[in-house]
Amino acid sequence: MRKDQTLGEYLQARGVSRRGFLKFCSATASLMALPPTSVAQVANALAAARRPSVIWLSFQECTGCTESLTRSHAPTVESLIFDAISLDYHHTLQAASGEGAEAARHAAMEENRGNYLLVVDGSIPTRDNGYYSTIAGISNLDMLHETAEGAAAIIAVGTCASFGGIPAAYPNPTGAKPVSEIITDKPIINVSGCPPIPVVITGTLAQYLTFGTIPELDPLGRPAAFFGQTIHDRCYRRPFYERGQFAHSFDDEGARKGWCLYELGCKGPTTYNACATLKWNEGTSFPIGSGHGCIGCAEPGFWDHGGFYKPISAGLWGSRETLVGAAVAGAALGIGTAMAARARKNKALREAEGDS
Amino acid sequence: MSVDQAAFAEFREALKAPPTPVDDGLSDAERLARARQTFFARVDRRAAVDLDTCIHCGMCAEACHFYMATEDERYTPTYKFAPLRRFYRREVSPLRWFFKPFTRKLRLAELQDWQELVYESCTGCGRCDMICPMGINLSTMIGIMRQGLASAGLVPAELRALQSEQSDSNSLFGVGAPELTALVDRLREQGVGLPLDRDRADVLMLTTAVEVRLFPESLKAAARILDKAGVNWTLSSTAFEAANIGLISGDRDTRRAAMRRIVDQAKACGAQCVVVPESGHAYQALRWEAANELGEELPFDVYAIAEYAAELVNDGKVKLKATADPKTLTYHDPCRLGRHGGVYEAPRELLAEAGHHVRDTEANRRENVCCGGGCGEYTISHGAALRQKAFEVKRHELDATGAEAVVTGCANCRINFLIGAANSGWDKPILSLVETVAENIAD
Amino acid sequence: MTLLDFARGPGLQWSLVILVVGIIWRLLGALMITARRDLAKPRPHSRLRDGVGVIASRSLPAHVFEKRIRFQHVSGYAWHIGLFVTVLFFGPHIQFFESILGFGWPNLPNGVVVFAGAVTIALLIALFIRRMTNPVQKLISNFDDYFSMIMVILPLVTGILAFAHIGARYETLLALHLLSIEAMFVWFPFGKLMHTAMSFPARFQAGSGFGRRGVKA
Repeated sequence: MRKDQTLGEYLQARGVSRRGFLKFCSATASLMALPPTSVAQVANALAAARRPSVIWLSFQECTGCTESLTRSHAPTVESLIFDAISLDYHHTLQAASGEGAEAARHAAMEENRGNYLLVVDGSIPTRDNGYYSTIAGISNLDMLHETAEGAAAIIAVGTCASFGGIPAAYPNPTGAKPVSEIITDKPIINVSGCPPIPVVITGTLAQYLTFGTIPELDPLGRPAAFFGQTIHDRCYRRPFYERGQFAHSFDDEGARKGWCLYELGCKGPTTYNACATLKWNEGTSFPIGSGHGCIGCAEPGFWDHGGFYKPISAGLWGSRETLVGAAVAGAALGIGTAMAARARKNKALREAEGDS
Repeated sequence: MSVDQAAFAEFREALKAPPTPVDDGLSDAERLARARQTFFARVDRRAAVDLDTCIHCGMCAEACHFYMATEDERYTPTYKFAPLRRFYRREVSPLRWFFKPFTRKLRLAELQDWQELVYESCTGCGRCDMICPMGINLSTMIGIMRQGLASAGLVPAELRALQSEQSDSNSLFGVGAPELTALVDRLREQGVGLPLDRDRADVLMLTTAVEVRLFPESLKAAARILDKAGVNWTLSSTAFEAANIGLISGDRDTRRAAMRRIVDQAKACGAQCVVVPESGHAYQALRWEAANELGEELPFDVYAIAEYAAELVNDGKVKLKATADPKTLTYHDPCRLGRHGGVYEAPRELLAEAGHHVRDTEANRRENVCCGGGCGEYTISHGAALRQKAFEVKRHELDATGAEAVVTGCANCRINFLIGAANSGWDKPILSLVETVAENIAD
Repeated sequence: MTLLDFARGPGLQWSLVILVVGIIWRLLGALMITARRDLAKPRPHSRLRDGVGVIASRSLPAHVFEKRIRFQHVSGYAWHIGLFVTVLFFGPHIQFFESILGFGWPNLPNGVVVFAGAVTIALLIALFIRRMTNPVQKLISNFDDYFSMIMVILPLVTGILAFAHIGARYETLLALHLLSIEAMFVWFPFGKLMHTAMSFPARFQAGSGFGRRGVKA
């Protein structure tokens, strides 16, 4: 796509009908809980959009977020839109490498200073000056600072970039941190998930392209449209939770009947994401639908909340030895105080006897 | 069977006379120290559990005849020993170090304030013990309060006077050895065999000052039953008094001395058993408390006269004939004979054997309502109005049975009913159990 | 560490330790004080049967008493039963117990549990007001009585708020619910909640003490 071509011209040239384009716009609008009347505005904005420059930095990550986003069996309108962004730097997808790739990054930063969108996936190691992950001899930490300076906004894709993710799990040997703990003077949208749902990423991008503003965010900086409700509140197995019908083990009778997975460690009640409604693989299913509890991958520290198979209501501490020790200590104190009271009583009795 | 009205009137007059105040010379600090020492001595494991477990539900009030009569919340039984409970929490309880900064010390003024609650608005009847959902022995806790107050010299003056009379003169209400001997002579003249001061006897019979003064017919009835059974028994002129003011007032020395006197006499004459006359607290004192007070198992059995008579009848040693004048009677269970003593069925069996029809009050046996005046509390003149109100509760119950007369197995209950009846114009006959039984001895 | 992590971790640990130490300390501290053997000759009786019998029978007052205490008696047991249903038969609660004890048991439907919980809260509030206004209870009540009731009401209320997602984000409400229970654990040995343990020896000794005299206590 030529740089001066609008998105609308580009799509037309690729053979996307007006009807197909509008269908995508109304789907996007309803995804973001916008009223039907806004579809025209979305369509106009997208059609007239100039391809913004996007620089995608990948740090301590597994590439799962990129895989999630690009996994499609056939060209989809979403992937066309993705093509329509001027993706000027992306380790996995770019053709260039080495010095050439870095030159492209610097060129894009210069040309679009103040206007480009910075997308980050993976966490940033900070211990020992960020020694633990470098690209082209530069630490991730330095690259982030350098690239964020001229960005209009940052989208932290995936739980690693949003909250630290797997590298930040105990004991966090690299001092991994999320973007928001390093860059504090730019607007940041956290699109968490391990990985995030593809349409959640594109929906957020579409929102930014349409309105040029940050969408409404939840207390953790995530788009409220996708992260505003818990899995539990949208889960199709909720009636079983209400009736108290739980699967007690994998593949037991309850599991086969599709009962609630609370007892098998489902973190649905404390996890905010759109899995229960949008689902994965273009709406095919999600973990609970496949019989495995939600692991809470869109939440901070989901590795360190006691285990994927421990129910939310279970204590994270249960040491029988400590409680037995406490009982012994209590007994010792009890007997001790009783002995003292006994002695006092006997003394008083003796004094009383002595009087008579 | 009839009560000597003249003697009763004279007795009531004597009750009204204010007692001489006693100056025991104790300073306030000494009083408090003695009370504290008594509390330390008396709070054992059972008391500790009871004092640690009150949940302040207030149900005990609903069992207390003083509360039922007045709806005055100060008569809530658990409130009557609140200072003791606080003392326990602060000085004895296992977590006392945590409670100390937040718990007030025991004060003498408090004990003085509680004197009225503990002696006038409580008879130690134990009905509250039966209702408490925690199973607390409130009457025992109030008993410990009395013991503490007694050691601090805070016994009400009237009880104090009786207490002194018993310990100093071995007499009560002016009835000592001479008065007993005179009565025995009179009864012998009427043809009643009353052995007095035998050296050896199987059974040591006791009596009480109020029997001698007011209800000599009861003593006569008991004598007739024992004689009919051919029992080798005796009275003792120096150790005849079954009543124990120390049990009522809480004074340890008086309590023990009275018990000691009886036990020593029983041992001296080789008695196999001691029979306690119609007096609830006297039975409780000898049967259940004496061994513990004196620290030795008793070498004889203790019977209430009702128990003993029932056993004689069951063994065939005494036969009763059906009365020519069967009545519908209601039996009032004296609290310390029934609930605290365990003697319920013997009196009823005897009355039935004598051909009378017994109709119980709605609350009977373990839930029986107290007569209202207790064993000696009726001497406390300040509490007379309250006792009269409590009596009305009992009277209502008794009237509701439709019985022609009330029978009871305690002379003090009888006195309370007679006082209450005199004050309110109630004309129901108040009968003695042993007298009713003796009337029906078959020849 | 989030508030919820704290509540499920160190908060739970230390409150449970204080609970266990405190209960056993206070229980043994009273039971290990001596009592002299009763030297009076008892009537024929069985100490065990008398004691255990009263542990059961004292929950059912005699008819003449029941008439006067019916409201307190019925409402008292109703809220205790409601509390046990709520605490012991809600699925997630059973998971909590299983994580500490190592075993669980069958659960009831949420609707039943929420109903029981709501009834319990209503009764507790009614009884709290009664305690403040009824002359007998007002006279004999102290800080412990009111505070202990609050310590019991808070877990119920935070539980229902968490269940209904009212007031804050769910994980915050859940943390507050757990913390309110841990606060109750810490208070437990010091207040009248101890009657859960002490009522057994108290009723037992009433039964055995009166039983040896031939009286059913």
